[in-house]
Amino acid sequence: MSQEHLQEDMEPDPYTKRVLEDGLSRRSFLSRAAGGAAAAGLFGMSGLPASAAGTTETRGSEFATSSDGGATLSFLPKPKPIRDREIAERLTFDVVVVGAGASGVPAALAAAEGGAKVAVVQKAPFALSQGNTGSGVDLATSEKAGVEALVARLIADSNHRCNPKLIRQWAYHSGEAVRWVIDRARKGGATVVDQGSPVQRAILKVNGYPMGYVTSFFGPKPYTTGDGMRALAKTAEQAGVRFFYNMPAVQLVQARSGEVLGVIARGTDGKYRKFLAKKGVILATGDYQNNKAMSDYFVPDVKHLGRKQLDKTGDGFALAYWAGGVFEPIGHTKMLHDFDAGPASMCDMPFLSVDRKGRRFVNETVEMSLLNNYLRDAENAGHYSQIFDANYMTQAAAWPGKLVPPEGLKNYMPDDPGPKKGVFESQVNTHVADTIEELARKLEADPATLVATVRRYNEVVASGKDSDFGKPADRLIPVVKAPFYGIHRRVRVSAICSGMLVDENHQALNGDGKPIKGLFLIGNLGGGFYGGVDYPLTVFGLSLGRCYTFGYLTGQHVARL
Amino acid sequence: MKILTTRKSPIRWLVPLATVALCASLGAAAPAPGAQGARMSKHAERGVTCAQCHGKSTKKDGVPMRRCTGCHGDTKDLAARTAAVKPTNPHENRHFGTEADCNRCHHEHAKSENLCLPCHQRFGFKVP
Repeated sequence: MSQEHLQEDMEPDPYTKRVLEDGLSRRSFLSRAAGGAAAAGLFGMSGLPASAAGTTETRGSEFATSSDGGATLSFLPKPKPIRDREIAERLTFDVVVVGAGASGVPAALAAAEGGAKVAVVQKAPFALSQGNTGSGVDLATSEKAGVEALVARLIADSNHRCNPKLIRQWAYHSGEAVRWVIDRARKGGATVVDQGSPVQRAILKVNGYPMGYVTSFFGPKPYTTGDGMRALAKTAEQAGVRFFYNMPAVQLVQARSGEVLGVIARGTDGKYRKFLAKKGVILATGDYQNNKAMSDYFVPDVKHLGRKQLDKTGDGFALAYWAGGVFEPIGHTKMLHDFDAGPASMCDMPFLSVDRKGRRFVNETVEMSLLNNYLRDAENAGHYSQIFDANYMTQAAAWPGKLVPPEGLKNYMPDDPGPKKGVFESQVNTHVADTIEELARKLEADPATLVATVRRYNEVVASGKDSDFGKPADRLIPVVKAPFYGIHRRVRVSAICSGMLVDENHQALNGDGKPIKGLFLIGNLGGGFYGGVDYPLTVFGLSLGRCYTFGYLTGQHVARL
Repeated sequence: MKILTTRKSPIRWLVPLATVALCASLGAAAPAPGAQGARMSKHAERGVTCAQCHGKSTKKDGVPMRRCTGCHGDTKDLAARTAAVKPTNPHENRHFGTEADCNRCHHEHAKSENLCLPCHQRFGFKVP
C-alpha cells in the first residue's frame, strides 16, 4: 500500500511494535531473565532428535515457567551447532523450503517457476495438508470498496491485533494465487474445482459492496488438500524442484552476522545433510499443536482439547527462534472445529446443544468455532451434542445453514450399515433414537441429565422466551417428537494460526525489528495474519487461501533475490 | 482378524517414551544380561543384545526405525500382510503411508499404544 514506503525509516507499525515489545525472542528472553539463576533440567524440544537437546543456554529458566508450573519453555535451549565433520552430504540450491504443505509446496513451485534451483526438505514421507477449501478474492468481480470492507471485517475478526498490511496482501493477491494453485495442482492430477462465489454466501456483499471469490475445493472427503498438495508436488518435481522426504530439519546454518545460509536435516539413516541456500531458506513447517511445551505456554486454552494433526511439533518455530526470530505474544489464535461428526452445513444451526454430560451450556447462536471456549475443561474436552427431533426439517427450515434430511443424516451415522460417501467414516458421530434416554446413551451423555435438560428446554420453548440463555424466540423449537436426533461433536485443534514476526516479504524479523537475512516464514508459522481468540469463519477457506497466497508470493520473491 | 494380545507390562505406571529413553540409557550403561532394560524385553529373551537395537550410542535416543526393519523387513511387506485388517490397515494410512515409525505404537520396554485411537475412536486395534 501507499504508506509502505513512508514507513521505512519510521517507527515500526503498531502491530510490529507490539510484537517486539510483548513477544518472545532470544533477545527479549535473555534480557528479561538477566540475573536469573541458572537451573538445570531443561528438556530437549520434543519432536526434534535428542541430539538437538544438548544445551548451551540454561540461563533464566525459572523465568520460563507459567504460574501454575505447567508450562515450560523447554524449546528454548539452542543446540550446539552440528559440526562439519558430522555432515555426511552437502547440497547447494538457490532456495531451500522446509516443509511440504499448503504453503511450502506452492512456495517451492513458485520459486522454481521464477528460475530458482529449489529443494524441499520434508519430515513426513510425502507432502501433507488438511481441509478442503482455500479462498481468494476475485478482483475482477469485486468493488475496491468491497475489498477494503472485507479487509476491515477481517481486521475486526482478529480483534484489531493483526498486521493490516498482510490482510491487504492476501486480499489483493489471493485470487491470482488460488487460481494458480488450482491450475498447477490440476496439472499434477488433482481433483480440484473452483467453487467461485456461491459458497461464500454470507460475504457476497460486504457493507453493501459486491464481492467475488475464487474458492478452490480439493475434495470431497476423504480426498483433501493433502492429496492436492501431493499432486502439486508432482507439478513442482516436473518444474525441477527436488523433494527430500523423511528428512526433518534440525538446525539452520547461520553466519556470525546472523544471515541464514542453509538448513541441516537428518535422514532415516541417521546422517546429517547440509542444504545450502544461496538466496534464502523458507520455513513452512506448520503450527506447534503437538508440542506440549509451546502449546501450554502460548495457548494454554487448549491444554485439555484434542489435536487433529500429528507431528506438528513447531520445528520451524524453534529454528526461527534460535536464529533470533520473535514469537507473537502469548494468547495465540486457535482453530477448533468438528465438521465431520455430522453435516458441516448444520454445525452453526442453533439447535439445543448440551455438554458432554448432557447439560445446556450456551445460547446456541454462538458459532461452533467459538464453542471450544465453553468446553475447554478436562471433563468436557471439546465434546458437545446438538439435539433435535423429528420435526427439524420444517421447524428449522428458516434458519441460516442448510438442513440435511433424515435419509442424508444416515451418511453420518456409525450405527447405520449403509455405505458412507463424502465423509471420514471413522469420524462420523450422528445418532437417532426413539427415546431421549436411548439417545443419551448413544451420545455418551448421562441419560437422567439429558432427560432433565430436554424437559427444561421444552418449558423454555413453550414459554416463548429463553429465560435461561436469552436465545432469540425464533430459534426456539421443542424436542418432543420421536425419533430424536443427536450429533455428538468433538471440537479439536485443527490449527494454531499465530506465528512469528515477519515483514511483508515474509522475511523473519529479529528482536530489534531488523530482517534476518536469508530467512522467510510462511503458512501457520508466519505471524501477523490473525490475532483474535479464535480463527474467524468469515471467509470460508481463509486459512488455506492465505497459505497458498503467501507461499506463492514468497517463492517468487526469494527467487528474485 | 487375528490379533496378538498385549502382554501386561510390569511398568505401566511409567510414561512410555520416558521409559524408552531410560532403558536406552540403562542399556548403554549396563548392558549385562539381567539389567532392568533387558529383563523387560521380549527381544532380550530371544537373545537379542542391547547393542543390536540401541547401538553403541550413549545418548538417550530411541531405537531408529532402520534397526527394526533391518531384521523384520520392509514395512511395505508388513502393510501387505495386514491389508485385510478391519476397520483399516494400520500399516498403510493417509498420515504416513507405509512409513510410520514402528516406535510410535510398538514399545519394547513399555506398554504399546494405539496411536490411531485419540482421533479415530472406533479403530480399536490391539497393539502387540
